[in-house]
Amino acid sequence: MLDYDQSMLDYLGIKDFEGLFSDISPNIRKKKLNLDPHCSEYKLVQEATLLSESNRFDDYSNFLGCGVYDRIIPSSVDSIISRSEFLTSYTPYQAEISQGMLQSLFEYQSIISDLLGMDAANSSMYDGPTALGEAARMAVRVNDRKTILIPDNIYRNKRNILINYCSGLDVRFKEYSFDMKTGMLDLGDLESKIDDDVSAVIVENPNSYGIIDENVLKVKDVIRDSLLISYVDPISLGVLKTPGEYGSDIAVAEGQQLGIHQNYGGPYLGIFTYRKELARKSPGRLIGETTDNKGRRGYVMTLQTREQHIRREKATSNICTNQALMGVAALAYLATVGPSGLRKIALATMHRSFKLKQIVSGNRKIQANVFSGTSFSDVPVLIESDEDRLHRLLRDNKVFGGIKLDRIMENRYDKLKNAFFFSTTEKTEDSDLLKLKHALEAV
Amino acid sequence: MSFKQAKYDEPFIKDLVSRTTFETISEDFDEAIVPSSILNKAPKVPEIAEYDVVRHFTRLSQMNYSVDTGFYPLGSCTMKFNPKYADKIASMPFFSEIHPLRPEWSVQGTLQVMFELQEYLKEISDMDEVSLQPLAGAQGELTGVLIIRKYFELKKELSTRREIVVPDSAHGTNPASAAMGGFNVVEIPSNEKGTVDLDALRYAVTEKTAAFMITNPNTLGIFDPNIMEIAEIVHSKGALLYYDGANLNAILGITSPGLMGFDVVHFNLHKTFATPHGGGGPGAAPVAVNKKLADLLPGPIVRKSGDGYYLDRSNNKLGNMASFYGSFGVLLRAWSYIKRNGSDGLKMNSYRAVLNANYLAKKISKDVRISHPGLKKHEVVASSQESGKRALDIAKYILDAGLHAPTIYFPLIVKEALMIEPTETVTKRDLDYFADLIHEAVSSTQEELSAHPVNTASGRLDEVKATRDLIIKR
Repeated sequence: MLDYDQSMLDYLGIKDFEGLFSDISPNIRKKKLNLDPHCSEYKLVQEATLLSESNRFDDYSNFLGCGVYDRIIPSSVDSIISRSEFLTSYTPYQAEISQGMLQSLFEYQSIISDLLGMDAANSSMYDGPTALGEAARMAVRVNDRKTILIPDNIYRNKRNILINYCSGLDVRFKEYSFDMKTGMLDLGDLESKIDDDVSAVIVENPNSYGIIDENVLKVKDVIRDSLLISYVDPISLGVLKTPGEYGSDIAVAEGQQLGIHQNYGGPYLGIFTYRKELARKSPGRLIGETTDNKGRRGYVMTLQTREQHIRREKATSNICTNQALMGVAALAYLATVGPSGLRKIALATMHRSFKLKQIVSGNRKIQANVFSGTSFSDVPVLIESDEDRLHRLLRDNKVFGGIKLDRIMENRYDKLKNAFFFSTTEKTEDSDLLKLKHALEAV
Repeated sequence: MSFKQAKYDEPFIKDLVSRTTFETISEDFDEAIVPSSILNKAPKVPEIAEYDVVRHFTRLSQMNYSVDTGFYPLGSCTMKFNPKYADKIASMPFFSEIHPLRPEWSVQGTLQVMFELQEYLKEISDMDEVSLQPLAGAQGELTGVLIIRKYFELKKELSTRREIVVPDSAHGTNPASAAMGGFNVVEIPSNEKGTVDLDALRYAVTEKTAAFMITNPNTLGIFDPNIMEIAEIVHSKGALLYYDGANLNAILGITSPGLMGFDVVHFNLHKTFATPHGGGGPGAAPVAVNKKLADLLPGPIVRKSGDGYYLDRSNNKLGNMASFYGSFGVLLRAWSYIKRNGSDGLKMNSYRAVLNANYLAKKISKDVRISHPGLKKHEVVASSQESGKRALDIAKYILDAGLHAPTIYFPLIVKEALMIEPTETVTKRDLDYFADLIHEAVSSTQEELSAHPVNTASGRLDEVKATRDLIIKR
């Protein structure tokens, strides 16, 4: 007990700490907190270091992707988001003393909506898939219809989140199919499923086969007045047209690739953008520009009347805590790499996925050119091997990769029964590709 | 007042044009590889030299208050000090550079951390099973609501159990999460003691009720002494009891949601377990349940077999609420905090958090009316109404002294509310200073008060103009 603990207790006229809990009935008092007693910082860091070292496989070549990618993170990003003024602040409820975070998030909204070619962005959501779930809910709020069309190859985790996020609404999900020759969405099939009840159509680019889906450019023409929700890879926008250019009403993305560590699944960044007319129906925190009492430019949280702390059960979403710091990371990343850097990163990724297809081909048990469409990062490869054996071969050759397609999506196509994903980034080197080639030669 | 926050006329980022210094990739690549129909001209991203980027954000950061700067008594936000060892551990590369689809044999250290955290949270809460997946408090609530929904769906009672009851003192996320999960929200008034009105509860909870959501201690900082009776009322109608864990910091090692009879609980790791809040997020909010709901938890659960750890995916009735296993970077910090503090430290933290709240309550009670008499737990709510001063003006006065203000105008049931949560990581001197500021503020004239703040990066900001003009990008 510190000496001022006692003086504070005396001030209250309470004998000891326990006296502060006399309002809690003995019947529900915890007898014992059965954890180890405290340990020193030194011991803790030592134990954590040992545990982290047991994850150490840095002599492995990495071909894992499928939504999360191992990209180069410029040192400026971690330096900026480690500044304790950003790291250890709360939601900027008191705007005058929080202008740094507010301006940063306003800049994030500006830069990220530019990147996606959209009018506006909120200041972040949890991750890409939950942003997609919120997008579906927003579409239903906008036009009050009951069907959402989704790609039949959407990742299972995204599908589950969509279903969970919409489980309180009277909404049905219907699938559209893919052209097994090109690997792109089947425009005819999509069009045939459009009726007056379709609230929104979800498209992905690159799609879940990793293919740059040129058909997204024509989707807006065939969906009448249903809303178009696009889910995009933000790095691919270094070279690809934006969702805004192909008429998206709402566009969302997983922002992990923009300077955020893989962290075994999080924290990541849900990017959420839309047409400005829809702002009042949108979920999440929004930062707006205004002026102070001297007429100087300043920033505040705005349109809060959409939010749970004001509107309670009528709010557009329940979201409160978001991913503000990850938004700052993405902003710092984009500002550091710039337009030419982002383009190079996207092109490097594509050239390496192209090379990957070339280098692993040549074995009759392996078919890497599955589709005529162009791959961005994730390459499905047909391999005549069972999963266990393939993974053993990969492990023997110190390669991470080979996620079986039907592990991450419902597979509707016979052709893809034996498909495994290998993904590239700008970090993929020729030596990695040779290791992969060697591993697959043994199939 | 000697405080002056940095006040730069910091340009908007797009106005910082300088030549990029980024050259990680030296090769040039042919653009012909991109299908021409979909090739863009150039991405619309600003071009800035790294030194300008870093200076820009450094200056912005200096215009931002943080818990590393000082006292941050936002009520229900538990802004305690974020220990630096947790940052150090979270940035260890063989934790942070791990792809979520890496095979289990290659991530045993990570899985061990997750397994241990699951065990710690079960022990702290006296619940039977936990999922680390939910990404923030509100998502934990939605997860809990969907677990409740699934439970009644499987019992074939969902068509009648359409209501979730919340007290009027509840956090806004509670009714919002209930509504998002498809339930109708029934709000009940608090009694004159600030706790659940049992008669109102008995009236509200019926065969149509799916759950009652509360936090205990509540948003007034009061521990509801009737919690066992509340649990009985709710359970007697076949409904479930949901624990909003936002206020857990008051009761670590003292009591627990499990002992109080709750069925579903979420933890705010970014509050109780000291993970940094990043200017609004990230957070993490594992959800724990008792046995009858155990197989309805989302996401994989980490299990131990022999010497190894693995992801058990047999729990798939609710699918998943996030892509992978939760915000591991946040989970790791919470694991570090619990290990470092241990059974003795966690309990002492609750002792001190509660002592600080009660001390401050008495200190300020001569200047502002405390919402309800009696012992406080983690926080105290005061009303400035009788002093004739607005909570907003008092808040701005406090900012000018270089402290963060409390939460204001919440809970909604207290007029001119100041909701103050000091946490355990402040000293008596900090509390005394804060109480002095409250005294000075209520003793000031309205004219003096309205002039504040002047020492912050910006003067009082026009929120009405922001809504009217709606400039949300430039």
